Amino acid sequence: MLLRVLANYPYLVAVVLFAIGFYTVLARSNLIKKIIGINIVQSATFLFFIASGNLRSGTPPIVEPGVAATYVNPLPTALMLTGIVVSVSVTAFALALAVKLYGYYGTLDPDRIAQLRTHRQ
Amino acid sequence: MMGSVTANLPVLIVAVVLIASYLMPLFARYRRDWCAPTAAGALVAAFAGSAALAARAVTGEVVIVHLGGWSPPWGIEVAVDALTAFMLLVLTGVAMLILVYTISDIGHELAARAVGWYYTSFLLLVAAMLGMAMARDLFNLYVFIEVSSIGACALVASRDTEEATEAAFKYLMLAALGSGLVLFSIGLLYQVTGNLNFAFVAEELTLVYGRYPHVIWVAMCFMVVGFAVKAALFPLHVWLPDAHSFAPSPSSAVLSGLVIKIYAYAMLRLLYTVFGTQFLGADLAASLIRVTLLTLATLSIIGGSLFALVQVDVKRMLAYSSVAQIGYVFLGVGLATPSGLAAALIHVLNHALIKACLFLAAGAIIYRTGKRRTVDLAGMGRRMPVTMAAFTIGALAMIGLPLFNGFVSKWLLFVGGMQARQPVVAGVIILSALLNALYYLPIIWRAYFTPGPEQEESQVEVPLPMLIPIGVLALACILFGVWPAPALALVNQAVATLVPW
Repeated sequence: MLLRVLANYPYLVAVVLFAIGFYTVLARSNLIKKIIGINIVQSATFLFFIASGNLRSGTPPIVEPGVAATYVNPLPTALMLTGIVVSVSVTAFALALAVKLYGYYGTLDPDRIAQLRTHRQ
Repeated sequence: MMGSVTANLPVLIVAVVLIASYLMPLFARYRRDWCAPTAAGALVAAFAGSAALAARAVTGEVVIVHLGGWSPPWGIEVAVDALTAFMLLVLTGVAMLILVYTISDIGHELAARAVGWYYTSFLLLVAAMLGMAMARDLFNLYVFIEVSSIGACALVASRDTEEATEAAFKYLMLAALGSGLVLFSIGLLYQVTGNLNFAFVAEELTLVYGRYPHVIWVAMCFMVVGFAVKAALFPLHVWLPDAHSFAPSPSSAVLSGLVIKIYAYAMLRLLYTVFGTQFLGADLAASLIRVTLLTLATLSIIGGSLFALVQVDVKRMLAYSSVAQIGYVFLGVGLATPSGLAAALIHVLNHALIKACLFLAAGAIIYRTGKRRTVDLAGMGRRMPVTMAAFTIGALAMIGLPLFNGFVSKWLLFVGGMQARQPVVAGVIILSALLNALYYLPIIWRAYFTPGPEQEESQVEVPLPMLIPIGVLALACILFGVWPAPALALVNQAVATLVPW
C-alpha cells in the first residue's frame, strides 16, 4: 500500500498542495496571501493533470510513421496551458481589486477592513 | 448559405454575443452612443436564435455541432437539446430585458468611462453562460465557468465603491475556489475514463465504476461542492449577500436571476447525464450525496428566508431571498423524481423572471428616490404606481400564490416530494411560503397603506425605457402562472431526455 502511494507521489503532492492552498485562502487574513492560496490550489490541479498524462519512459508526443513509440499523453498538458491562462487572469483581476482595497482602507487585512466599514457607517 | 447558418446556429448565438462584447471597448472609445444599440441587437439576435432552436428541440430533436468538423472524442462537441434550449431561452430573454433597463439606468450608477466596459462584462458573462448551457465537453465547460466568474465579478466591481470592491474580491476568491474544486473533479474523471466528452465519459464511467468506485465518489463530491459554492447553497453562500446588494441594480438582477441558476444547471447536467447511474443508484454513496443535497437545500430555504427576514436594506433582503430560492432548485435536483426535476427547471425560469423583476423595481425606486431601506418605502404605491405594482406582482409570485408563476414550481415540487416519499419536503415548501410572506407582505402593506412623508406626494415614476422591462417581467410572471403550458412542454421534454425513467 505504502509503496503504491510512494510510486504515485505526484498525486500525493498534488493533494497536499491542494489542501494547503485551500487552507491558505480560507484561514489567512491577508488579501495577498489569499491570492497566493488560490494560485497554490490551481497549481496543485495543474500538477495533478500533468502527472496523469505523464509516462516515466514516454517520448515526446511526436509520432513518425513506421516508428512505434509509447509517448506522453499530450492532452492534459494542452488543457493545462489553458488552465494557466485562466489562472493568470484570475490572479491579475484579484490583485487589481486588492490594490484598490488598499487604496480605500490602507490595509490588506479583511478583519480590519470589516472593522473600518462598520466604523464609517 | 442558409443551411450552414441553421446547422451552426448554437455556435453563432455565442459568437454574436462574444463579438459584440469585444467591440464594446472600441465603441466606448470612439463611438460612445453605438454601445447600447449594438449590445441590445446582439442579445435580440441571440434570443431569436434560441427561440428557433427551442422550436426544434421541443419535438425531441437535438442539434449537434462538432467544432471544426472534428467528431468526438477528438473534437469539441456542442449540442442543443430541450434542456439546453430551455436554458438558452431563459438566459437570452431575461438578459435582453435587463439590458434594456441597463441602458437608461447605468449612466446613473457608474462613472461615464466605466459604462462601455460595463457592457463588455455584461455581454461576456451572457456569452459564457450560453456557452455553459450548450457545452458537451468537460474542459470546454470549465473554461466557460471561469469566463463567467470573471464576468460576474467584473459586474460587481464595476461600481467603484469601497463596499462593491470588497464584495467583488470576496466573490472572486470563493468563485475561484469553486472552480478549483470543479477542475480537480474533471481531472479525476479524465483519469479514470480517459475522455472529456460527456457521452463518452458517461459510457466509460459505467464500465469502470466497479474498479474505481472511490475515485468516482470523490469526483462527484468535488463537483457538487464546487457548484454549490458558485450557486450559493446555504452554508456556502457567504459571498452572495454583499456581492448582490452592492452591485449596480442591473448586475444584481443578472447575478441573482441568471448566474446562480446556470451553475445549478451545470451541476444538474453533470449529475444526470455524466454520472447518471452513479448518482441515481441505490448504493450508500449515491444516496448520501442525494440526502446531503436535500439537507443543504432545506437549510438554504429556511436559512435564507430567516436571514432575509431581519434585513433592513431592500436589495440585501432580495439577495438573501435568492439563497432561499436556489434551495428550491437544489431540492428538485436532490429529489431525483420526474416532477421534482421538472419543478427545479421550471423554477429556474420562474425565479429568473421574479427576481429580475424585483431587483429592477427596487433599482427603479433607488434611481428616483435613493431609498434602500424597507421602512422608507411608505407611500411608494402612490409615488411610483407602475414600479410598485410590478414589485407587488413579483412579491406575490415569490410567496407562491395561485395565478402567479411561483405557484407552479412550488406545486410541482410539492408533488415531487410526495412522489419521492419525502413528506418533509412538502412541509418545508409550505413553511417557506409562510416565511416569504413574512418579509414581502410588510413592504407591500407599507407602500400602499402607510402614508409617506408629507412633502413627498408627487409622482416620480421612472422613464419609459426602464418601466417597459419591469412591466414585461411582471406580466410574464402572471402569464407563466396562468398558462405555464409552453414552458412545461419544453421542461417535460428536457426531463424525458435527461433520464429514461
